[in-house]
Amino acid sequence: MAGEVRIPTTEERPPPVAGERTLQTEAARCCVCGTRDAEPVAVGEDFEYRTSPDAFLAVRCTRCGVVYLDPRPTRRELPTIYPDHYHAFAFTEDRFGLVHRVRSRLEARRLLRALGDLPADARVIDVGCGDGFHLDLLRRHGPAGWRLEGVDLDPRAVDAAEGRGLTVHRGSVEDLDLGERRFDAALLIQTVEHLADPGRVLRAVRRLLVPGGRVLVVTDNTGSPDFALAKRRHWGGYHFPRHWYLFDGPSLRALAVRSGFEVAELSTMVSPVNWTYSVRNALDDWGAPRRVVDWFSLESPGALAIFTAFDALHTAAGHGALLRAVLVTPGSSP
Amino acid sequence: MTAGVPEIHEAPVVVLGSGLAGLAAARELRRLGIDVVVYEAADRVGGMADTHRDEHGFAFDTGAHFITNRFAAAVGIANRCRTVQHYGETVWLRGRAHDYPFGLLRTPHYLGAAVRVRLQGKVEAGNAAERFRAEYGAALADEVAIPLLEQWSGLPAEQLSPAVAEKLPGDVAATMALKLAARCTGRAVAIGYCREAPQSANVWHVYPEDGIAAVCRALAAALPDDVRLANPVERVLVADGRAVGVVVAGREVPAAAVVSTLPAPALARLTDHPALDHLRELRFRAMVFVNVMLRGRDLLPDTLTWTPEPGFPGFRLAEPSRSMPWLAPAGRTLVTADLGAEVGDAVWSAPDDELGEQVADAMRAIVPTARRDYLGCHVLRSPVAYPVFDLAHEAARLRLADGTGLDRLLSVGRNGEFAHLLMEDSYWRTLRRIRALAAELMGCAATQDEGAGVSAG
Repeated sequence: MAGEVRIPTTEERPPPVAGERTLQTEAARCCVCGTRDAEPVAVGEDFEYRTSPDAFLAVRCTRCGVVYLDPRPTRRELPTIYPDHYHAFAFTEDRFGLVHRVRSRLEARRLLRALGDLPADARVIDVGCGDGFHLDLLRRHGPAGWRLEGVDLDPRAVDAAEGRGLTVHRGSVEDLDLGERRFDAALLIQTVEHLADPGRVLRAVRRLLVPGGRVLVVTDNTGSPDFALAKRRHWGGYHFPRHWYLFDGPSLRALAVRSGFEVAELSTMVSPVNWTYSVRNALDDWGAPRRVVDWFSLESPGALAIFTAFDALHTAAGHGALLRAVLVTPGSSP
Repeated sequence: MTAGVPEIHEAPVVVLGSGLAGLAAARELRRLGIDVVVYEAADRVGGMADTHRDEHGFAFDTGAHFITNRFAAAVGIANRCRTVQHYGETVWLRGRAHDYPFGLLRTPHYLGAAVRVRLQGKVEAGNAAERFRAEYGAALADEVAIPLLEQWSGLPAEQLSPAVAEKLPGDVAATMALKLAARCTGRAVAIGYCREAPQSANVWHVYPEDGIAAVCRALAAALPDDVRLANPVERVLVADGRAVGVVVAGREVPAAAVVSTLPAPALARLTDHPALDHLRELRFRAMVFVNVMLRGRDLLPDTLTWTPEPGFPGFRLAEPSRSMPWLAPAGRTLVTADLGAEVGDAVWSAPDDELGEQVADAMRAIVPTARRDYLGCHVLRSPVAYPVFDLAHEAARLRLADGTGLDRLLSVGRNGEFAHLLMEDSYWRTLRRIRALAAELMGCAATQDEGAGVSAG
């Protein structure tokens, strides 16, 4: 049509077709205090992947402030709620182009800031490594002597990471048999929110660390303005129904302490993702034209750039979109 | 089980009644790992949350007409609900409909009086009439709010507690924002429907495909072995100020705690303990719901029409198919009139057809063709439709808000709490009280460690 403004999208795709089968669900509890003393915060849907026709309830623990999905899909539903094209299985340069290049550079810098002082032959394990994106960054930008391993529950993630030539174990970190190997550092980067029992995983990670070992945790921040604005339904960080536990600073600290760690650093950092997806989810929910909705995604450098700048202001004020914590075993502050 | 967790309860918690509150309580107890058994007098679950369907395709509900999308998600039936796109209320005055609440304020006479009382500031109200006059101004109170309240309650507003007004939505700006959101999103955003969880543009009315009864069916499905139908509880047993069991079919059943959803006075009778004697005086208003079937569609000005003026058989007329078109066959509609009554009085005992024709006749002021298009009616009668906040029993009502006065005996749900609770409020309130009971039964330490599914590390 003449004169029509064309909003660029990196790839024109038909809207996702909603899954038709209702998920099996089970009741959840606060992962810090273990109670169900919670009040409803949000009701939402799988706006991004439409893996089921269900609506999901997010509640907030009245004791700890942890936000969690209740009820949540059972373990058997994991292959359904993480479809084959899930982004963490295939965050590749082919598919994500400029966004991939920029993110790689930023994330490499962040990782090395947290791990740069490790010995030249340090062992590092990435828990919930997905397609091995972060391990690959460490391999390319870190010291050559670092010994890197990953672990992920999902065979598709493990295949993708192994395809990059990385050493990756399939399964849960609690069940992993690594013999006598101990690690100098563990990464839980956007992992803890996906777990059925974050405390249990953190305790298992603690047992894998050398004395004085550390854990870098990065997760969505419910203490952020994007959460405050969109928490009733559209907040990108809900990632319905894949994010089961969500934290703010105090509740993440409580989880760490309950899991036997000391918190060496706790801060927030910039991410455009939750802003972008909060807008996207609202537009999608309200029936906006598809190409407008698609302008807000991981594949749209424009939106990501704008929200990166925007979130940088909030991060400067201490309310960035992501929480970043460095945890250490007690008595071993670096 | 982890070592160190004490054997907390040998007997199950006994729940009386399998309506919304009873089943929500039982499911939550199960989720918390506590044994539970539900006794229901009727031969099916659901209580007041029920939908009837006739052979012509008309459907009508016993109690609530809607639930919210949030409540549907909590119960687990969201994907089997349809979104309600519109819901509206009007007040019929002097021959025309006024939108509720803002349409009324376009009448200078009402607006003037309302502004004047606002400027006068807070007044301590001793009864419902004073409360309404202080809140809305004398004109709106005397011509609209008080006549509605009196027909609803069956008592003069001067004899009713000012607390009856607490249910009404208060914040004008918030209400306007939510109405705007409803218009923009094409969803019937729930306004004034839930006080226990926040209102927002993202909470709207939905209706289950199988009717309101789907709520209780879904809850009961999570309790496959725990509901005993056609098993009325005959007595609640108390020892040393604590509920210890019930009698069912002449047999004593021990209980770790008793959770009743019966009307509070009925619980007092079953328990027969002096600590509950004050509850015996509480009274409910009976209602006769006359569901009139008519030819045509969208006959009333909006989903709900309040009729405060004399000459109408009840105080409101509802046309649910304006919001939920699927509740009546094509080209037909169903209008529900709520008639206040006392059990056994003339209204209560009137033959169904007589009531239907009477409602259709009276409706002619609003729908001139109502008598001509009348197709018949279905009548439902409820002896415990609404609690009456009689000032004479105010002390008993307030005492109940603090509990039954006996240990391990809860009285929950709209009838048990003797409160004007809509379904979603009843659900969240019941969960909160059940979680507190569970903590008491299990002890806090046990709750914590078992809770996260943690084996000692």
